[in-house]
Amino acid sequence: MRIGLRLRENSCRSLVLDGRTIVSAAREIHAGSIAEALDSALAGLSREFGSGVREITADVGHVLATRNLADVVAVRISPRPPADAFHAASVPPRVEAAVSRTVHVSGGHDMRGRPLAQLDLEAFLAALPSILSGNVRNVAITSVGSTASTDHETRIADAILSNDSEMRISISSDFYSSVFRDRDYTAILNTALMETGEELAATLDAAGQRHFPAATLSFARNDGGRAPLPRLAVAPVHGLRPEPASVILGAATLAGVPNGEVVICTDSGVIVGHLRGGLPAANSLIRQGYEASLASNAAVVESYTANHPIRPDVSSVIADLRIEQTTPPPFGLVPTLPAAQDVALVGCAAAPLTSWIDRLETVSGRTDLEAVQHRAEEDAQSAAVQLGANPGQIHIIESNVFAMPYGNPGIVRIRVQAAGETSGGKERFPTTEARRAAP
Amino acid sequence: MSTQLTADDVRHLRTGAHFLACAIDPTAIHVYTDMILQAMEHQSLELATVAELAPDDLVVAVGMVTQGLFIADMPPVGDEFLGCINAMEAKLGRRVRAIYSLAAANINGMIPLMVGLQSSLPVIDSDPMGRVFPLISQTTLNIGQVAISPIAMMGVTGERAIVEATNPQRAETLVRALVTELGGWAATAMYPCTAAQLKEHGVHGSVSRMIRIGQIQDAETSVERKYLMLAELLDATRVARARVTHIEGLSRPTDLGLPAQPSSVTLEDESTGQIIRLEIQNEILLVLVDGAIAAAVPDMVTLLNSEHGTVVTLDDVRVGNVVDVLTYPAAAQWYSQAGLALAEPKAFGIPLRHPRRSHA
Repeated sequence: MRIGLRLRENSCRSLVLDGRTIVSAAREIHAGSIAEALDSALAGLSREFGSGVREITADVGHVLATRNLADVVAVRISPRPPADAFHAASVPPRVEAAVSRTVHVSGGHDMRGRPLAQLDLEAFLAALPSILSGNVRNVAITSVGSTASTDHETRIADAILSNDSEMRISISSDFYSSVFRDRDYTAILNTALMETGEELAATLDAAGQRHFPAATLSFARNDGGRAPLPRLAVAPVHGLRPEPASVILGAATLAGVPNGEVVICTDSGVIVGHLRGGLPAANSLIRQGYEASLASNAAVVESYTANHPIRPDVSSVIADLRIEQTTPPPFGLVPTLPAAQDVALVGCAAAPLTSWIDRLETVSGRTDLEAVQHRAEEDAQSAAVQLGANPGQIHIIESNVFAMPYGNPGIVRIRVQAAGETSGGKERFPTTEARRAAP
Repeated sequence: MSTQLTADDVRHLRTGAHFLACAIDPTAIHVYTDMILQAMEHQSLELATVAELAPDDLVVAVGMVTQGLFIADMPPVGDEFLGCINAMEAKLGRRVRAIYSLAAANINGMIPLMVGLQSSLPVIDSDPMGRVFPLISQTTLNIGQVAISPIAMMGVTGERAIVEATNPQRAETLVRALVTELGGWAATAMYPCTAAQLKEHGVHGSVSRMIRIGQIQDAETSVERKYLMLAELLDATRVARARVTHIEGLSRPTDLGLPAQPSSVTLEDESTGQIIRLEIQNEILLVLVDGAIAAAVPDMVTLLNSEHGTVVTLDDVRVGNVVDVLTYPAAAQWYSQAGLALAEPKAFGIPLRHPRRSHA
């Protein structure tokens, strides 16, 4: 059995899933703090289900999104600093407000991984004492071309940590985007959330150890998968917006549909997502209008319109999650799932371990391309094993090669997603046959 | 007659610039739009017709040439284009009186506005492509035998170069090599010419066309209505509403020195079952329907989300997506014998002649 949790500042909502069956419907505990609500919720579930629970996955997105951001020093590495205010990197206002200081360091790489400018480590080391003597403990480091070479980012990070190993550092190359401002924004937000991530991970771990010592605890990721709790302390942005993916995955899980379309009617509108190999189809960016995007793999969810193409040969799941259901769903949609289920919590409970490889490779021809793609698939599988997946239960969900318009000839982007389960979690993940049925 | 551009014009231009070059990620357009809107708070921006200039006025094309590092990964620091214009003036011993876009689409459709704000030079509502082509030699000015050089360049590191080459293809080769070594992109000023030459050989109304496309795309109206308006404005045809079935990288051999490697997308029409094939290298070069040419470069192709009518960037195309394939003609100059010689499929290594060749 698997538990899905949704944490708020003063509440914990939980649901227990066994395969595709809800064995304990969503219930919510309110208390004076997260720790109390969580402890109370898990104590009750422990009494009821005891050692039958193998996996617990928590959606911590709401807590991460509502906590104050920690102050951050943003280190930006590029050949030259902006010549005027218009050309300075800009991030969304909430995150900009968290940046207490910006430090420019000369450096950066081109797409071939060759230095555009020598890293001015000396100048950075001269500025370092003033960074470390302040109250700010969080640093984001973003370098031009760090998708091709992480060298300058890691050298700056090493310089900081060798002087103060307690600093929380986020480097932008941990997040794939070919856009400087996306990586900069993501690295800043990530480090600003690290303290909250650490606290949540510790709280969840303590409660889990107390009530379900044999279970594995994870947090729900934005892509519909999950990752072990320690990752929450270092990459909290991947747990910031898991709910859209969880809703899609939850509805599909209840319907037993690993490949197809999921339509969700909510009070604020109708959304649609797609399942592929048992997981929501995902993009590498969470777009936010014309502002910087969050470089985190996340489910693709679009608004449903009257023009939505209907395809009879594609499985379709329709869930009506509206609180007020006195009128039928719009667009003549007929729900295929029973109402009044917390499908997002189902998705949270059902989430498999997911890993991504997203990187640039230089290739000289088709054979070479196939080799680097195969290597990326192996690396994605290894990454899933490192997260705790059973090597025999890992599947490649997505494996794509992207040409780079106006890029260096021979440089391609390889993007691979792997998913798997721990040895006790095989009941939900779709069979190979089901996954092969993907359109 | 010159026009003072408004903030709304710039927002629509952003949409139109993306529409005309859906192969390229639009983030750099968004970054530049923000810069332009900020700068416009302090200064007005003038869009002029080439006819308003004195025939002998010196005008230059400004634009990014890229091969490697994405502009959005290293946005210009802000002094590059002014440096190029200064270098051009020093080289020619004359003042530049106005600027125009090297290519009226994507980022190069936006850049002249920022440069205009920085330099206080008017921006001309003309360009030498009427779209984006990968090579700087693929221009209507080249068709008209207007000299491409001197070409002033400034890269991400602040390093500069001046290229002087009488042959546009050689200029392309030299500039492309320099761009790679300058870091992946270079701000450039090129095709210095008189207003009279631009008037005779340029594509006109190209900035205002982008704004008009954006007005249609951004309007609060139905997708069907938008398609009708686009069809009227651009003489556009929807070739197919089709589902992506296969995406292939390195799908064709290439040895032409074009940036990026070729790729292909295969789709199946939702209603007819026809097989659609898109051949891509930086731009969508060819649309085949059941093996027959439905559109071929220099024809223009835009992919639209069939449900929302929004532009689909090639980066976002996934197997299973349903897209509308919209084709429309390029500027008339491109269908001359000289224009087709520069920009038909053969020029991109695809051994096909443009269908209009046989009617020419």
